Amino acid sequence: MNNIWGDMAQYDPVTWNWVIAVYLFMAGLSAGSILIGIGMRWYSKEGNKESPILKASAIIGPVAISLGLACLVFDLTKPFHFWLILVNYNFTSVMAIGVAALLAYTPLGIAYALIVLRDDLPKWKLGFLSPIGQLLLPFRQVIEVLLFILAIGVGAYTGFLISAMNAYPLLNTAILPALFLASGLSAGAAGNLIVALTCFNSSAGDDDVTKLHGLDLPVIVTEIMFLVMLFSSLYFTGGAAAESLASLSQDIWASVFWYGVVGIGFAIPILSMFLPSSTRHTKAMMITVACCSLTGVLALRHFIIYAGQSYIS
Amino acid sequence: MNKRYVMVHDENKCIGCQACNIACRSENNVPEGVTRLQVRVEGPFGEAPHLHYKYNRVSCQQCENAPCVEVCPTGAAYIGDDGLVTIDDDKCIGCMYCIAACPYKVRFINPVTKAADKCNFCKDTRLARGEQPACVTACPTDALYFGDANDSESEVTNLINTKVTYQEKTHLGTKPRIYRIPTKRGGIES
Repeated sequence: MNNIWGDMAQYDPVTWNWVIAVYLFMAGLSAGSILIGIGMRWYSKEGNKESPILKASAIIGPVAISLGLACLVFDLTKPFHFWLILVNYNFTSVMAIGVAALLAYTPLGIAYALIVLRDDLPKWKLGFLSPIGQLLLPFRQVIEVLLFILAIGVGAYTGFLISAMNAYPLLNTAILPALFLASGLSAGAAGNLIVALTCFNSSAGDDDVTKLHGLDLPVIVTEIMFLVMLFSSLYFTGGAAAESLASLSQDIWASVFWYGVVGIGFAIPILSMFLPSSTRHTKAMMITVACCSLTGVLALRHFIIYAGQSYIS
Repeated sequence: MNKRYVMVHDENKCIGCQACNIACRSENNVPEGVTRLQVRVEGPFGEAPHLHYKYNRVSCQQCENAPCVEVCPTGAAYIGDDGLVTIDDDKCIGCMYCIAACPYKVRFINPVTKAADKCNFCKDTRLARGEQPACVTACPTDALYFGDANDSESEVTNLINTKVTYQEKTHLGTKPRIYRIPTKRGGIES
């Protein structure tokens, strides 16, 4: 429609796009992978062996966060001024707190990867990095604990980042950081499983792999619970918050939610548990289900980013 | 005493002519395709023959509790000594957090500077010279008032104290400093 007051393009409430959704996914994947890798090491009986799962998380952790941060930097309107965010901090901003956390998390993740992969690096022609891994080995305990704590922070921070915007009722909820942390764990478990099975010759019958596989159901149930809490709190808040529930029945993002998040992300992994155990525990089946979980988490981040910004109070 | 600059938009006097919009563009060198200030003509409301329009000024609300300042990671969005929400172009990296967080959707990326941009009541130009913002001066029907609400003698204080006014989205706790005098149906009595 023509109007006399000028261009309306800048007033589109959807400011952040898929690049940010991919970043949120990558940050969740990285944090979840690290949490599961280190967590399983702590609970495992053979603590001194580098398990395939831990090696997988040592790769996914730093790689995913680096790719995510690359997305973030190139989404800036001034990508070559990104260093300004590293020297100026406004600590009322969740983003500034996140930058501070990532500034510690990313190098620690790389350091931890060098420690865990010190014996594997020569296989990938990266042998020159092994001495650094050896050098860092005495500090393993400290790095591990710090990295674990920071990973909880990074996983939850992506939720705080967007829930801080009180104009968007679907985003401005207390449950979002918890939901993102839970779905990050789901992505991390899936990512670890895929890398362990494909790159580190883990077999489908391994004790670790079975344990990791067993995490699927509780994590999915937690996610579903958090989603129910999110939507019911919107419903009972009423007003603009209740109106944002239309995102579950209207437009493309409703399809992304029902087909992507619920169908691929929840239903397929849950239904796969009813398969005969001989089929269920094959490598191919495990990788397929893990890919479905990853797709579901990616779809959830897209749904939250787009549907969340589409309804403004 | 601190200044508390506010603007009052009398929607009875406004005719939606966009003189303010053009004056702003010219004074602040706002590039084509983006806008610091629009007056949207909304309606008609009611049933014929008793129809009326609403003239909705869309511009930075100069919130006293500004979400954009709270979320800005680098401090590029800040509140100056004069209490006005302002942007330091050199500190802005264009993460667009402020644009997403603004409940009024009045922030945008300036295509020339690549920094976030919005109305600042002409703080660097006309206000610095002791003049009124360009929109206020250009308005042909004197529908806009600007001044210090902490000065009990000022015209804006008098208006806020004597007229029915409203502000937008006060439920979000932003304390916007654009006051609006709503349209009285059936003619102008002021």
